[in-house]
Amino acid sequence: MKSFVSAAAGVLVAGLLSTAAYAENLVLYTSQPNEDAQATVDAFQAANPGIEVEWVREGTTKIMAKLMAEIEAGNPVADVLLIADTVTMQRLKEAGHLADYKSPEAANFDASLYDAEGAYYSTKMITTGIVYNTSAGMKPSGWQDLSKPEAKGLVTMPSPLTSGAALIHAQTLTGIDGLGWDYYKALAANGATAAGGNGGVLKAVATGEKAYGMLVDFMAIREKAKGAPVEFVFPAEGVSAVTEPVGILKTAKNVDAAKKFVDFLLSEDGQEVAVKMGYIPARNGVALPEGYPARETIKVLPVNAAEAVKSADADLKTFSGIFGTN
Amino acid sequence: MLDRNDARSRPRWLRFLFQGVTGSRRRARAGATPAAEPRWLAPFVVACLFVLCLLPLVSLAKAGLAGLVSGQSVGVLSEPATFAAIRNTLLTATGGMIVSVLIGALFAFAVALTDVRGKLALSFAFMLPMMIPPQVTALAWVEMTGPASPLLKTLGIAPPLGSPQPLYSLAGISLLLGVQHAPLVFLALKAGLSASPRDGVEAARLAGATPFRVFRDIVAPLSAPGLIAGAAIAFVSGVGNFGIPAILGIPAGIEVLPTLIYTRLASFGAGTFGEIALLSSLIAVIAAGGLLLQQRALSGRDYRIIGLSGANAAFSLGRFRLVMELVLAAILFLVLAAPLVALVASSLVPAYGVPLNLQTVSLRAYEEILFRQSMTLKAFGNSMFLAVSAAFGLLAVSVPAAYLMTRRKGALANGLGILIEIPYALPGIVLAVAFILTFAAPLPIFKVSLYGTIWIILIAYFSSFLAVSLKPVMSAFLQMDPSLEEAARLSGAGFFRRMRDVILPLVAPAAGAAIILVFLIAANELTVSALLWSAGTQTLGVAIFNLDDSGSSDLASALSVLVVVMVVALMAALEALAKYLPEGVLPWRN
Repeated sequence: MKSFVSAAAGVLVAGLLSTAAYAENLVLYTSQPNEDAQATVDAFQAANPGIEVEWVREGTTKIMAKLMAEIEAGNPVADVLLIADTVTMQRLKEAGHLADYKSPEAANFDASLYDAEGAYYSTKMITTGIVYNTSAGMKPSGWQDLSKPEAKGLVTMPSPLTSGAALIHAQTLTGIDGLGWDYYKALAANGATAAGGNGGVLKAVATGEKAYGMLVDFMAIREKAKGAPVEFVFPAEGVSAVTEPVGILKTAKNVDAAKKFVDFLLSEDGQEVAVKMGYIPARNGVALPEGYPARETIKVLPVNAAEAVKSADADLKTFSGIFGTN
Repeated sequence: MLDRNDARSRPRWLRFLFQGVTGSRRRARAGATPAAEPRWLAPFVVACLFVLCLLPLVSLAKAGLAGLVSGQSVGVLSEPATFAAIRNTLLTATGGMIVSVLIGALFAFAVALTDVRGKLALSFAFMLPMMIPPQVTALAWVEMTGPASPLLKTLGIAPPLGSPQPLYSLAGISLLLGVQHAPLVFLALKAGLSASPRDGVEAARLAGATPFRVFRDIVAPLSAPGLIAGAAIAFVSGVGNFGIPAILGIPAGIEVLPTLIYTRLASFGAGTFGEIALLSSLIAVIAAGGLLLQQRALSGRDYRIIGLSGANAAFSLGRFRLVMELVLAAILFLVLAAPLVALVASSLVPAYGVPLNLQTVSLRAYEEILFRQSMTLKAFGNSMFLAVSAAFGLLAVSVPAAYLMTRRKGALANGLGILIEIPYALPGIVLAVAFILTFAAPLPIFKVSLYGTIWIILIAYFSSFLAVSLKPVMSAFLQMDPSLEEAARLSGAGFFRRMRDVILPLVAPAAGAAIILVFLIAANELTVSALLWSAGTQTLGVAIFNLDDSGSSDLASALSVLVVVMVVALMAALEALAKYLPEGVLPWRN
């Protein structure tokens, strides 16, 4: 019994120490899939020995809720954010949560890809197009194909209530003449479902639960390379894009490590890591990964970031009104 | 009322073990003077129970009332989403209750009343679904059915492209709730059946009644109270379950109250505390309603039995014995073996949609979670830390509490007994919300907030599992002859000396069981930690849920397989300890 007590005390002390140890580590909140997050962190740690990175993954919308709850409780844990889209970053910046940092790597990036004051930097380009199972009856070529009778009950998409990319995607498509919210209503009427993040869409389409899905490019192209029965299409009307920006929080405890993390992601080595994972790099002069068409053939639809920030809450409500609350 | 008010999501059977702690407590001997206990004991126990059991409830009630009075959160009660969630909660909990009663009653009757072979093995296997975390059960079933199933694909019998996953529906959620909670009905019924009158059955048989007649006129009426109690507990467990509707309902847009609370908090953050407090109260009201119905159904069914009880093999099945054994084995295969095989299969495929065979089989998922993902190792470490701390730390509360409650009689002991049951009776999601509300603001003296740290999860576990830890310890105290301690006291031994040399050695086996039981439940916990986790504090349950949510269901499956292996190993360890334990601590034994 005594040994029980001392064992319990030992565990408690160990727990205290490990909690204290968190404070020394760089804490990253990210929306990357688990495997990519781990690979990014591993590459960074290899390039910067001595810095330990603690990371948490959730969909962008959810991780923001977690962060805001922590900020309200006066106990924000994260140092760096690596999340889906600049719209969310812009919101954080306007609320005064981001620290400005001028990265020396910025010179190699298009000026539209980072915040002029240095609050956040785009690290890659992630477009959302159409994925389909190779045994599907129709080969979709445009967004409208998903509302056709052939696709009835066979379409799925990520929910903006989980995924930041999905929110930008919805805001982009609804801004196009001839699509708009009517397009989403038509999809819902055609039996399309919207739930969870991009990972769930990939799984549903690859395993044949659904035939068609709206999905981020790298997931589909990468899974195809692994042997899964899927194809990815850049629809004729164009694709929406997010740029997975990185930013440092004002409340960061490990500012130096956080700056190194930003520099690493923007550096040539960091961009090559992204390419190896199958992402389109944001830095000039870095080649696209295999499986993609040439960069200039990908038509990226514009989205008005300032508008998107303002209408985000209303758009979320509209979307959940059409597809149900999740 | 409160001693039936039982709504924790998983370890329901422990509830049974706990029954009678307040009621059938042996009265302290007249000669035992209260002075025999140190002066700090009662205040210490009361203070612990106040923080763990009462304070969170007060915060929840306060936030709910504040939301109502200010009118800010009332809107949530009239939203269509809330109505749909209430309806879905009632439907799935009722459906799950029906499935639980059907399967649980069949097993209970077969094991308690007939001469089927291998009863211990049957009971052990039948208890497993309850010990496996609900989200793992749900994942395993998803991998077993539908066009996505690697198992069906490998066998070449997968449904065609675009077939809906049949489990992503109200019926699917009900079925799995039923499977998860059938052991509760089994336990409730078995306890009642083993007390049914052998005399009566034998007399009826001698008088020429057919086995069917005996069953209908003697066994069935006498087992009604156990059946009703089991059904009520299955219903209430269904209302509070989070893991199953989270995996099956969220992808299909089917919300029940616990998942609605989770998605609200996860997507809209802390601004919704008032709404969430109200939604939590709704769950508590539905759970209490189910238990009130049970009480009404039970009233007027007070059967007293005279003569020999214990109905060992009241019915010999003759040539139907083999049939019955095959039916039971087939059910176990369907609800336990097949889903687990599917889970293993899906952890071995290299990519989605690829059939499993000798060429494609891959251990990549295990390699990834064990050697590359720092997140799963962190989660494993956290769950171990939480489970070990809760298991050992709770003894510091449960041993003094059990001592106090067996040595004292009257209002204090009864009050404490009720207090301990409250957090155990609440659905985990309600408890988690209550702890957020209590600890989100910085602590009064230390000026730090526990929210976002691992300590808030640990405190919630302490509160939630106190009853689990107390039960075996309490039964050991009840079996102990107080004269032993008294003799030591009269020889001049102080309280700690008596604890060390007399009491602790005698309760040690029970304390060991308490440790393993709490560890088993805490290591797999999802509902509480799903709401309370933060950077660096994710638990195993959260890791599995999050991996599946991010689309890495191969990794989720691999981690789940490891968790199931751990559960079975721990249950086997308990089984090996069985002969040192007080009777009734292990639910799968008679």
